[in-house]
Amino acid sequence: MAGERTTRRISGGKEGKRGFPRLPLSFLLIFPSILVLSLVILYPLISSSLLSLFNYELTKPHDIDFVFFNNYSKMFKDDTFWLAFRNTLIFTGVSVVVSLVVGLIVAIALDQLPERLAGLRGIVLVPWIIPGVIVGFLFMLIFDVEVGIANVILKQLGIIKKFLPWLMDEQLAMIAVIVANIWNQIPFYILMFTAGLKAIPVDVKEAAIVEGASRWQEFVHVTLPYLRGIMVITSLLMVIRNFNNFPIIYTMTGGGPVFSTTTLVIYIYRLAFEQFNIGYASAVGIVWCLVLLALSMVYVKMLYKQVH
Amino acid sequence: MFKRKFSVSWSVFVWGTVLAILGWSLFPMYWMLVTSLKRNMDVFKVPPELWPSHPTLENYIALASGVNPIGRFFVNSLITSILTVIITIILATLAGYALSRLRFRFRDQILVSVLVTQMFPLVIMLAPLYLLYVKTHLLNTYAGLVIAFTSFALPFGIWMIKGFIDSVPVEVEEAAMVDGCSRLKAMWTLVLPLTIPGIVATGIFAFLDAWNNLLFPLTLTNELKMKTLPAGLVLACTGQFKHEWSGMMAASFITTLPVLIVFILMQRYLVEGLTRGAVKG
Repeated sequence: MAGERTTRRISGGKEGKRGFPRLPLSFLLIFPSILVLSLVILYPLISSSLLSLFNYELTKPHDIDFVFFNNYSKMFKDDTFWLAFRNTLIFTGVSVVVSLVVGLIVAIALDQLPERLAGLRGIVLVPWIIPGVIVGFLFMLIFDVEVGIANVILKQLGIIKKFLPWLMDEQLAMIAVIVANIWNQIPFYILMFTAGLKAIPVDVKEAAIVEGASRWQEFVHVTLPYLRGIMVITSLLMVIRNFNNFPIIYTMTGGGPVFSTTTLVIYIYRLAFEQFNIGYASAVGIVWCLVLLALSMVYVKMLYKQVH
Repeated sequence: MFKRKFSVSWSVFVWGTVLAILGWSLFPMYWMLVTSLKRNMDVFKVPPELWPSHPTLENYIALASGVNPIGRFFVNSLITSILTVIITIILATLAGYALSRLRFRFRDQILVSVLVTQMFPLVIMLAPLYLLYVKTHLLNTYAGLVIAFTSFALPFGIWMIKGFIDSVPVEVEEAAMVDGCSRLKAMWTLVLPLTIPGIVATGIFAFLDAWNNLLFPLTLTNELKMKTLPAGLVLACTGQFKHEWSGMMAASFITTLPVLIVFILMQRYLVEGLTRGAVKG
């Protein structure tokens, strides 16, 4: 009975005083969400960390051994793992830096437009809602060696001498997937920075103009300091998103040719669903999750700092 | 307000940038549409035709009769996406209300955990989830897909709706509750109407998440007739659409159209919802 009383008190508000036994309202309201998240995210995470200690292969379900940290030590000696790690950093680093710079320039330019042209901002956002698979298809066509318009344009401009096999070349494939990814993501940066620019107080901008600051000085001493918080948060969020990016690369190259566009998530997918090596795939996945968890913690801290 | 003097170089920069980004954003979309209207042999012409010399709808007609049941994929996508929207809105509203208004143990921890779940790579959930779905007979079911989609739309929705409820003054509800109105009734009649923009934004994101998701339908269904569009198209890509660019672009356009329509109708909510949390005020 004492337990029941405590539960009632936790629910707070008026319900507790009415005096019939019940679960706390807060629990009832949150439980369905927690249940779904536990089932699809929490349970698989825990299960993966356990699986990572076994040499579990889907093709050999009766041959499962506990192998301690063998999967983990194997990983550090696995050249493909390190290649995938490097690819992930290149893919993410280039995507985020280019999108950040271009997004900032575009947001500033769009901010200068008169209000009646605000609709143009909407058009610029369109690439962001296109499904990743379709972005992949679209850029497969654009970068195709025979029919791709990228080759036609670049040759017209004199940048390349002959048509290049973008998606079949180990060096070029990464460029092609990054271009597709940037196309898909720039709108998000534009959106965030446009909102950030709107939040700069008008009198601060006016003061800069009255004091005779050039546009460049205004950019460096007013715009950038005001946008710094949102730039950090947006970049961090996008680093996390790109570390997890799957559909565009998977559709365009499947991680190839050879392993040249295999990022860690593609590698984990291939290990689990092409080689059926669940144990090893889980180990790589868990390590990657720890990296992402650390990044997320930084992100959450920055977000709280920005909001409060 | 003080304004800067007109400057030619600045105007050139502004308009140059605006035109460049419009071209960059729209050209691939235009190319998709134009290619889908070409006869497949015309796609191979050099130099490429910027407008089809023989525009045709044959690619769209062929989709209906192709080896891969694109129509069925479309229906699957529609059903699972709409169910995901409904369930996400209900769950996120309930949880968002509790996290905004009620005080209980682990509240802050739950809030942060919910946010962090979004950051994990979907790929590592797949193997355990697949095994779980086999055991619970959720493999190849709409329910299985909807649960998975919902879990990915939910964290964002909970935060979004919590944020909107936070901004509704609590006094309104308290006054009603003093007058004998129950908490749930106060929530339904007073708080909810003011939260509509957040609910709509949550719904849009749930729709986009579900419609665009590739990994869940790729792994959690293994019957062709249960695939949604992204997974179905990836499979068709190596078969039906091999060297058939115009058909592939027609399928792409069909897949893009619903999200485009949702975006055009709901853009205001989407932008407001997204930028709200990130910018002060």
